[in-house]
This record gives sequence, C-alpha cells and structure tokens, in this order.
Amino acid sequence: MNAVAQKVYDFVDERIGLKSIETKMMNEPIKGGSRWAYVFGSVLLFIFIMQVVTGILLMFYYIPSADHAYASTQYILHEVDYGWFILSYHFWGSSAMVVIVFAHMSQVFLWGAYKKPREMVWLVGLALFGLVMAFGFTGYLLPWDQRAYWATTVGVEIMDKTPVVGDFLARFLKGGPTPGQMTLSRFFVIHVMVLPAALMGLAGLHLFFFRSAGPAGPFRGSTEELKVKTDFFFPRQVWKDIIAMAAVFLTISALALIEPVELLQEATPDPGDYHPEPEWYFLFLFQLLRWKMFSGELGQFMAAIAIPTLFMLLLAALPFIDRSPERDIFKRPVALVSWAVVMIGIVVLTISAILNREYLD
Amino acid sequence: MIVAVLLLAMQIHPWEGPGLTALLIVSIPIDIWALGLTARTYFLERHGLELEGPIGLALWWQGAVIVVAFGVASYFAVGAAVSVGKSLAASIIAGIKKLFPQFPIAEQITLELLLWSIPTVIVAVLVGAVALQVYGWRIKATVTSTGRRTTAPLSERVRRWDYARVPRDQGLLFISFAGVVVLLTIAFWIVLPVTTPHPSEEYKPKVAKVAKPMKPEEMLRQTETSLVQAEAVLHTLEQEKAKEKKEGKKPEHKGK
Repeated sequence: MNAVAQKVYDFVDERIGLKSIETKMMNEPIKGGSRWAYVFGSVLLFIFIMQVVTGILLMFYYIPSADHAYASTQYILHEVDYGWFILSYHFWGSSAMVVIVFAHMSQVFLWGAYKKPREMVWLVGLALFGLVMAFGFTGYLLPWDQRAYWATTVGVEIMDKTPVVGDFLARFLKGGPTPGQMTLSRFFVIHVMVLPAALMGLAGLHLFFFRSAGPAGPFRGSTEELKVKTDFFFPRQVWKDIIAMAAVFLTISALALIEPVELLQEATPDPGDYHPEPEWYFLFLFQLLRWKMFSGELGQFMAAIAIPTLFMLLLAALPFIDRSPERDIFKRPVALVSWAVVMIGIVVLTISAILNREYLD
Repeated sequence: MIVAVLLLAMQIHPWEGPGLTALLIVSIPIDIWALGLTARTYFLERHGLELEGPIGLALWWQGAVIVVAFGVASYFAVGAAVSVGKSLAASIIAGIKKLFPQFPIAEQITLELLLWSIPTVIVAVLVGAVALQVYGWRIKATVTSTGRRTTAPLSERVRRWDYARVPRDQGLLFISFAGVVVLLTIAFWIVLPVTTPHPSEEYKPKVAKVAKPMKPEEMLRQTETSLVQAEAVLHTLEQEKAKEKKEGKKPEHKGK
C-alpha cells in the first residue's frame, strides 16, 4: 500500500511539483515558534469552508422565491433529514465567523503586526472583514420570516442615508419600492455567488501577501530566545490550528444543538407586534441609532454612515499613521486604550440594545 | 467539549443530572494531565527546573480548593457589588431625571449599565487577581519542593519542552487523531435526531390525501357486474309492467 501511495505521490510530483509546494506550505519559518495566538487565520478559513459545505447542502432544498423561501426553509427545518442541524450550524457558523474575525483583527492590532512591511496584508484583511459583515447581512434575509424581512428593511433604509451612492445602492438591493421577490433574488445571488467568489479571491491575496511579508512573530523576547524557538509551520503550528478548529467546530455544534434555528411568522409588509432588530453583531450600531443625539436625518447619517466609515478609514490608514517600529502593546498605551475603549463600547452598546427590548412595548 | 456535544446530540443536557456528572468525571483526569504537562514544560523552559512526581495531581487539588473558596467569596462579593451598584446607579439616574425630565431611555440604559457594571467588574477582577496570587504562591511552594535545577542550555531546554508537547511520531499521531475523529463523527450522526426535536408552531405540515391505486381489470369486472345487475333489474321491471298491462290494471294518478 505504501509503495502504491508513493508511486501516486511521485506521479503527481513529477507533473505539478508537489514536493516544492509541500515544502513551501509546511516549512514556512515561524519566528519565535508556534503560538495559540496565531490560530485565528486558519480557523477563519476552516469556518468559511464549513459555511460553503453547509450552504451547498441547504441550497439543495432552498427555493429563493418570495412565495417559497419561507416554506422551503421550514421544510429544511422540519422534514429534511438532519436539515435542522445543518441550517442551525450554518446560522451559528456565521456568528462564529464574525467573532473570530474580531479576534483575528484584535490579535493583529495588539501584536502590531499591521506595521511595515505588512500594510498590504492589513488592508486586504479589512476588505475581508467587510465581506464577512456583508455575508451576514445578505444571508439574514433568506429565511424570509418577519425577523429577516424587517432587519433587511431597516438595514437598507440605513444604507439609503449614504450620500451620493446611498439611493442607488438601496434601490439596487431592493429592486422595488418595498422588499420583495427582486430583493430576495438579489440578496441570494450576492450571498451565494458574488461574496464567496470575492472572499476566495481576497483570501488568496491575503495569504499571498502574508507569505511574502512573513509572519511578524512575538513582540517580546530576547534575540537568542526568538532564534532558538523559531520553528517551521509543520508540525507544531499545524497541530495548534487543528485543535483550535476542532474546538470551534464543537462550539458551533453545541450552539446548534442548544439553540437551533426557529423561524418567526412568514414575512409580511406589516410588522404587527414584531420590533425590527438586526443580527446581534449589528446591535451596537442599532443601539447607537436609538440615542437622542443621533435622531433626525443628520444624526442618523452620522451614527449609521459617517462614524463607521470614519472608523474603517482610520483602521485602513493605521499602518501609515503609526510608523513607529515598536510592537510591544504595553509600550503603545494609546493603541491599548483605544482598543479597550472600542471593545468595551461594542459590548456595552450590545447589552444595552438587549436591555432596551423591555421598553419597546 | 466532545462529551458535551455527544450528550447534547442525545438530547441530554450536560449541565444537569447525569450529563453534568459525566462531564465532571471526564474532565478531572484531563485537567490533571494538562496541568502537569504545562507545569513541567513551563518551569523547564523558563526557570530551568525539572519537576518530578505527580505534579499535575498536586497542583489540581490545590487549585480545586482555591477555586471553591474564592468561588464562594466571589459569589457574595460580586453579588453585593451588583446590588450596591444598581441602587447607586438608580439614585444617580433619578437625580439626572430631576434635572432633565426628558432624559431619553436609550441613553439611560447605557449609562445605568456602565454605572453598575464598572464597579462590579473591578470587584470580580480583584477577587480573581487575589485567587491567582494565592494559587501562584502555592505553585511556587510545590515546585520549589519537587523541582530539580538543570544545567542544560536554553536551546536544549526548548527542544525538550517542544517534544514534551508534540510527540515525535507525527504520522502515528495524525492517524490516531483521524481515527478518533471518524469514530466520533459516526457516533454523533448515530445519536443525533434525524428530524428536529424542536417543532415550531408556525409550521403545520400539509397532510396530503393518498389516492387509491387504480386497478383497471378489477374496475372493468365491477362495471360489468353493475351492468348485469342493472340489466336484471330492468328486465324484472319490464316483466312487471307487461304483467300489469295484461291484467288491465289502471295506473294510479296522484295529485290533480
């Protein structure tokens, strides 16, 4: 058997240079050795692959039409063998992707890994972050229940406030005066075709830039320590990545089993008793929009468009503003405090949005 | 985690009854092993100390005692901080509302949350820090009594630290890992309910009426029998009519 496997390996190697690919992939030196802090990129790739697999399985039964989307989703949940678990895994997988993206960005920021010569890796990473959020936004409409319909209605209305392109974007996404068949078709196509293609391309570019610049390594440690501990990607980092992937897979499965997806009533243009709310990772922004100081046309524009856009632009400009070679986060107090304020702000506003539900009636 | 997921797939909640017991039983030896391995490798690399004996067990029971003691302390301290913080926050909000009666609810929620959660987090962090400090003293005392100083250079210590965490035979490790994954996957799909154990009130499955299967030969036979019967009835009626005519009986007229 080994001889047969070796022959197959040699056959492929002779044609595509398997050995050199393997060497390039596995023998990448990691300065300072493998670490648990470096697992997030691989975990994100794993979650994306799982989302693709579960998404394809769901597409076997899902019908992207306003007449059948709700019924087909209910059919997946109640009639298709293991459909309830696959759909719940896909749902929780999207949340896991957002959490891990935040963790990955935080790690890169705190480690100072966005600095020269890794500016391009950081910029493409920010674009990937935008794609992950777009995945969440477009996928939310597909079950076509009240939650999906009204979250999208609110989201598109917010988008409408963007100067110059807002009106066009809102009309393009809705495809009519109110969300309907055209909206569902467009969101479906963007969710299953445009975004996966864009994500695959950008993820490839991200990896290429990362491999070209090389990993940043730890921000502390003596030269001797770093030299002694420097190791190849295989096997230690590979094992850490595998263990992290298994932990994430088990966490998503546990969430799918504890809190499986349950649909509300089918989407109607009348919200009834339902209070529109976006997915949990947009709740902080939603709560900000409830603040009195952000009421009115200008306030809504400031909270929904201007502040997030400025924040993203600031993140994009970060490697060019922060030119100091110092990477130790404990010697970069402004960076540490800024990160803590943003994280606490997001957590506090998200909890506030949940507490605010009690006062809606 | 694996055990918890398997229990959940069997519809047994791991945080109650037999599920919790199973989880605790499984987690204790894993904790002891992980603590021992971490302590051995950490002190070897960072402090040049080689630890002997069942260090994992020694650190585990001390940690368990500290977790129980500080867990109870934390329960009361954090609980007190929450109640004091909430009442303080409520009085501050009431004061603000007197000054600004139109104080909006969204801002009020966030401010109130910040007012009581910040002191609560500080209390929780302080209790945690003291617990870690106490555990640190215990670890130091245990390690000093069981550890033996090594003269090996850093590179050698790192090599040994590294091999203690990842076995040398990677192929064997991958095969066994893959085998365990396959077995767990099979077990998971066996115990997982095929249809949802959470039926929704919004979903009413349509019960389709099953049409009776058509058998042409039987239908023809039934039709023929019906025709023969109808013919016989007709024949009898005709005979009766002819008999009445023959006897000259007049038919009865009803109505006008």
